[in-house]
Amino acid sequence: MVRQGHAIAAATVAVHTSGSENQMNCAEFQRDLPLIIDSGGTGQQEEHLRTCEVCRGLVNDLRYIADQAKLLVPMYEPSPKVWDGIEEKLKIEGLLKPAQARRI
Amino acid sequence: MAMRKSVPEEGLQLEPSASIAPPQLAAEFTAAPKRPLLTTPKKMLPSGMSEAEAIDRAKQGDGGCFESLYGLHKRRVYSLCLRMTGNTAEAEDLTQEAFLQLYRKIATFRGESAFSTWLHRLAVNVVLMHLRKKGLPEVSLQETLEPTEEDGPKKDIGAHDQVLAGSIDRVNLERAIESLPPGYRIIFVLHDIEGYEHNEIAEMMGCSIGNSKSQLHKARMKLRDLLKVTRVERATARR
Repeated sequence: MVRQGHAIAAATVAVHTSGSENQMNCAEFQRDLPLIIDSGGTGQQEEHLRTCEVCRGLVNDLRYIADQAKLLVPMYEPSPKVWDGIEEKLKIEGLLKPAQARRI
Repeated sequence: MAMRKSVPEEGLQLEPSASIAPPQLAAEFTAAPKRPLLTTPKKMLPSGMSEAEAIDRAKQGDGGCFESLYGLHKRRVYSLCLRMTGNTAEAEDLTQEAFLQLYRKIATFRGESAFSTWLHRLAVNVVLMHLRKKGLPEVSLQETLEPTEEDGPKKDIGAHDQVLAGSIDRVNLERAIESLPPGYRIIFVLHDIEGYEHNEIAEMMGCSIGNSKSQLHKARMKLRDLLKVTRVERATARR
């Protein structure tokens, strides 16, 4: 009970000012957010999102970050010494014959 | 119909004006399509040889073809290692180790998944093994989805600055990811950058799907804070 109260206090506690008694508040919505943000929520959760600017702003920010992350490409180039190390170790282990190695 | 009162309690931190996302993204609350893993079926090497042919030859011990495969996949493997560790020297060592393991194991590749997917998974396992040896916590197994005080939304630093909304550039995002705590960073990189699903991450890291989702959420929340700090700093510098 104490833990639950603590959790709710820690979350954003703006309470939506319109709607029925069954409408969830921001703390309840944000408590469930990790589970629903990528998969979609229940009707009640989506209704809260539609009507609450605070939570909509939060979800948009998190989705925006995730979308931007998807655009990050594998752009980093390892230094040539990485391949040199691989080649050397394979030669030591007898897996790569010196004559076979060639630069592309 | 009963109306709820607006109760301004402690912790009321998020304001619509503080959003860093562009307004056109505001409406939808549906899952974005995941970026598919790099599974192009017919990649060609600079020599004109297909990737499949190079794999077959590398399986027979052709070092030249193995080097060609290295050339084709080195950026993706190295970028993964670098983003997961945040350290250039470690990333280079782990890239080397991943390709050494590839050479030793390539004969076991049956083509049931794309080669790049298979190699990528191998590289992720190399990094995770390294982090376990270092004793870095990847994910707290005790963690629950219940937020703690620390996890709650923080005060919006840029709450009054609406001008920069929607501007996250790649450099700032990369820097913010690099400064995440290791546990958050690993999950974020695997899920949001590399496109792994929570069930795959949970399997690789030996945690629950709920833990993976929780860590990812915390990572995104932390990034949001970091990016807002960056936004304020940039705005201040311009004045």
